[in-house]
Formats: sequence, C-alpha cells, structure tokens
Amino acid sequence: MGEESQKQKEIITPSNKEVIVVCEQEKGEVKPVTIELLGAGRDLANKLQGVLSCILMGHNVGELAKKLIAHGADIVYLADNVELKNYKTLPYRRVVVDFLSSFTLPPHIVLLGSTTTGRDLAPRIAAHFETGLTADCTELDIGPYEHTNKMDPDKVGLYPGCLYAIRPSFGESLKARILGPWKNPQMATVRPGIMLPLQANYNHKGEIRNIPVDLKPEDYRLELIEVVHEINKSVNLTEADVIVSGGFGLGKQEGFSLIKGLADCFQNSAVGASRKVVDIGWIPYQHQVGQTGKTVRPKVYFACGISGAIQHRVGMSKSGLIIAINKDPEAPIFKFAHYGIVGDLYQVIPELINYFKSNSLPVKEKAIA
Amino acid sequence: MSNTFNIFVLMKQVPDQSAKAGINPDGTIDRARAKRMLNPFDRYSLQAALHVKKTYGGKVTAITMGPPAAQEILLEALEHGVDIGYLLSDKRLAASDTLATAYALHKVILHLEKPDLIFCGLQTTDGDTAQVGPQIAERLNLPQVTYCEDFRIENNKVIAKRVVEGGYEWTKIDIPALITVANSYHPLEYKSLRGAKMVQDLLRDENEKSKYIKTVNLDDIGADPIKCGLKGSPTIVARTDKVSEIGGSCKTFQGKPVNEMVSELFKDINISEFVKK
Repeated sequence: MGEESQKQKEIITPSNKEVIVVCEQEKGEVKPVTIELLGAGRDLANKLQGVLSCILMGHNVGELAKKLIAHGADIVYLADNVELKNYKTLPYRRVVVDFLSSFTLPPHIVLLGSTTTGRDLAPRIAAHFETGLTADCTELDIGPYEHTNKMDPDKVGLYPGCLYAIRPSFGESLKARILGPWKNPQMATVRPGIMLPLQANYNHKGEIRNIPVDLKPEDYRLELIEVVHEINKSVNLTEADVIVSGGFGLGKQEGFSLIKGLADCFQNSAVGASRKVVDIGWIPYQHQVGQTGKTVRPKVYFACGISGAIQHRVGMSKSGLIIAINKDPEAPIFKFAHYGIVGDLYQVIPELINYFKSNSLPVKEKAIA
Repeated sequence: MSNTFNIFVLMKQVPDQSAKAGINPDGTIDRARAKRMLNPFDRYSLQAALHVKKTYGGKVTAITMGPPAAQEILLEALEHGVDIGYLLSDKRLAASDTLATAYALHKVILHLEKPDLIFCGLQTTDGDTAQVGPQIAERLNLPQVTYCEDFRIENNKVIAKRVVEGGYEWTKIDIPALITVANSYHPLEYKSLRGAKMVQDLLRDENEKSKYIKTVNLDDIGADPIKCGLKGSPTIVARTDKVSEIGGSCKTFQGKPVNEMVSELFKDINISEFVKK
C-alpha cells in the first residue's frame, strides 16, 4: 500500500484558476503580442475551467477593453492614469504587484509578451512574489506533473493543472518543458509572432473593472525623456524578405561587395553577417545575425561562407528557405539549410547574380514567342 | 555627493557552444568537458562598468556565481581593469533557477559596500532568460534600465538610451540603479598591459591572488540555504527534447560546373517573386 498511494498523493496548489494576460499598448493601440497571448490564454483557461482576464494599463485607454474582450478576455482590469501613458518599469510594476496582492486566492497563471516591455516587467513581478517565471516560451499547455525527486521530499506528489512552459534551450537545439507547480501564479513570457490569436468576436461578453493606481514616491525614480521611433532604418534585417549573409569564408572584407551585389538583386533585401566577421570589423554590428545579434526570419536566407555555428543558427533557423554556399561539404550549415551549393563563393555568387539579372528576361522572350 | 562610484558588474561563465568539445550527441552540454568562456553579453556590461570608472571615477567589483573554475572570468575581468572579483561558490547553489540565482547574487551585493551602479549583461548564452538582472533590482528595491545601449551620468542621475521594438527611448534614472547592457553598446576594449601583467603575477602567487579574487560561500554572505539551489527554485526543467534538424535533409549540389549547379537549384525552387523587376 504505502509507497504506491503516497506516489499518487495529489497536491493542489491554491489558486482561483484565473489566467491573466498583461496587456501591452502603445499610442492607443493594443500590441499584436497581447492578442496572441489572449488566444493562448483562452486555451489554458478553458483547460483549467477558469476565466481569462487581462490587465490593461495606460492613459485614456478604456476603449481598448472592447478589443481585448472580443479577442477572448472575460474580464479586463483597467488601470487608467496619466503616469501609465508610456511603459515605465516602476509604475507598471506597482499596479501589477498591488493588484495581484489583492487576491485572496492567487491567480493560476500570469502571461506577458517576451518583448522589451515584458522582459523588463515580468522578472520584477516574479521576484516580488517569489514565484516561477519561464522566459521566451514558444508553446504553452496545461497538464499534470508527478514530482518524484527525493532531493526535496516536501514537494513529492502529483500536481494537476500545471502550466507547461515550453521553450528552446541551448541555442534552440533542445526544447525544454519547464514547470513550477508549487506556487501560483505560474508565470511565463511568450515570444511574439508564435501564438495564434482568436478571431475577434464582438458578441463575446466581458466585464470591465477599474483597479487602483496608487503610486509611491519611489516609483518616480525613472523619468522618460523621449521615445523615438525609427522609420527608415538603413539595415532592416528583421523585415527583409531576402537576407544575404556573409561569413569568414569570404576571406576578406571586400567580399561584402559581392554579398551586397547579390542582395541588390532583390526588392526587399538586407545584408547579414556572422559574429566572427563583425568581431574582426569587416562589417558593422547592425548586420550581425545570431545569438548576440538579430534574430531574423526572412522568406529566403542566403548563407555565404558561413559555417553554421549554433550562435548563427539560433538567429536564422526560422527562415522560410535557407540556401547555403560553402566550399566545405562538412560545414554544419549543410545540416540545416534546405539547399546547398558546395563550391567557391567567388564563382557561385556571380553566377547567381547573373541568373537573377537574366531571369527578368524570360518573360520578354515568352512574349515574343 | 561623492563623485567616485561604487560599481558592480555581474558576470557568468558559460559553455562555449561553438567549440565541439563537451557537446553531447543529444545536444545537451557536458559542462565538465565543455570549453568555458565569459558570457559574450557580459563583455558589454564589463565595458560599461569600466567606462564609468574611467570617465567618472570609482571602483569596479566583479561578481560571479559558479564552480571554482569560474574564477577564470574574474581573472579576465582583472586583466581588463576591474579592481576586485568575488566568486560565490557553494554546492548548495546547484540547480538554481533565475529566482534562486538572483537571491544569492543580491546577498553578495548586500554583503559588500552599498552599490551606486550595478551592470549586468542583457542575458546569458546558456540560459537566454534576461531575468536575473531585473530580479536582483527587485530584491534590492532599485530602479532599472534594461536593454541599455548608451548612457551618461549627469548630476548623479543616469541618462540612458534604451532599445525598444522599432526604436529607442531616453530615460533619466536615479542612482543607485541596475542597468542591463544591450549588445549594441560599445564592444569591450583590449586588456591593458598592466592588467595582463598583474594577473600573470597573481597566477604565480596564491597568497597575492586571494587579495584580488575572493571566494565566498552562502554562510559568508548570510544567505538562507532554503532560498538557494534546488530548494529555492520555483521552476524545474521537467523534460528536454531534441529539436529535429531544421530543414530536415539538405539537398546539396556539388562537384559540377557552377552554372550547372545554379540552374539545377532553380529547377527546384522559385524565388522570382522577390527579384527586382
């Protein structure tokens, strides 16, 4: 009897089964990541048979509540105050901490976007409540967890209704399922652009409740001087359809003129680079793709003279079509590219340029024929 | 108001994922065999800390948590001009998640002099969470600037440029503060000859080294072991799966004339919609 039944001992961590999404808005617009989080949160709330709510902070933003409800929220908690007009760590932190402290039973789950705002705010909330937070999730689910680790016997038991926070780890070669069922709320930040939003349904019934904004003098230790939106960035790696990247295999800095030549064949393109060539100064940092550079997901990615080290792969592996050009057939890039040409890039790239330049001709030829 | 700042820089030793050594076939890392390196993001925060020392005056203390080998990165920091390094090393810290790590590190800071500025790397390459910095700021009740790309100090406030989606913002923040430094900040300058020479000498004299690299454990800093390591971590990694190779099998063209390979490639794929007309 003893051991078998002990193993099955079910432990319910106190919670009100509520899933809360922290909304991000800017200039009166809800950020897409919030709508995505509501889609994911709706699914979690349904599985828990609980409610989905959303904390909306800002100034004169009450109108946005309707949109949040249409996209799945059952309750919108509205904190409207001039100090909340733009995101600032301490005032936003104060509102969320005070609000979450007001629950008799804590909410089950709190979700934020894995954005510069969410990654700034979420760790402070989690540290305040000394609860678990998983960064940068790409999947979320609800399920049971049986903890058997005798290293901490107090925690042994079967936990139903855990948040499965699933994220890439070790440079995306592994996927980790991270759990923290012993304390609620269980928290996660979620990568933008991954979760599926719900279609807006303006018949979905929801409730709007005002929540207090009670800032303390210490919340004014940071002042926002100005917010600058850059429209015409010369290097727009994250929005390019086609990226042509060069690596150490170029052999010399001048090789980048060839890379630019290939990029120029396309309408919306950008030049990327591996960390190594940025480090040795062949091209400015703004072009760097990878773990310590930009994460990109263009429709087409040309990797020229890039070995495909994990740091680089992390930043571009989600590209639609990866074409690698490298003279080393053993280069790791050929393990995850879709197409590869083994050869000297100083011969292959001019041939590609030639192909694209002449490729606009066949249409004419056809017309003549 | 003093014009010399008490500066902390927090750093971590991580496995070098570009080296083949210590990377298991299943993708996990054998930390004992892996090549070790300073977390690349910490090079920017180290530069930021040294910049404050050089420009405004002050003392830089580097702090890390890890096994004894982690003192290597403290020595590296000394070569660059850091004044003293603290290594928090204790078996009871094993399996710490970000919350437990932040708890332990904030206890090291409380154990030392009151900080003016604490610099952290944006994130680490082995954890990728970017959580420890803000969690320390919360524990110490400090204001923070994350994703800081540039800054200056005026009238005992930091004027900081913070990178955000689609642009940036300028903020003014009271000192003391915690700053996490973006990798678009200035790259780390070369080691100084004097620093390199000093570390050379320290490596020959264990007694002298102990004046510059201090090793502390949980008892030394008055940390509660219940809040550290596995016991103090609200999250655990329940399962890891290898992600299947992206793209699956690569179709490779080789050993033929270049023009043939290129035309074969474009028999398979059509990207003409992106080509300039």
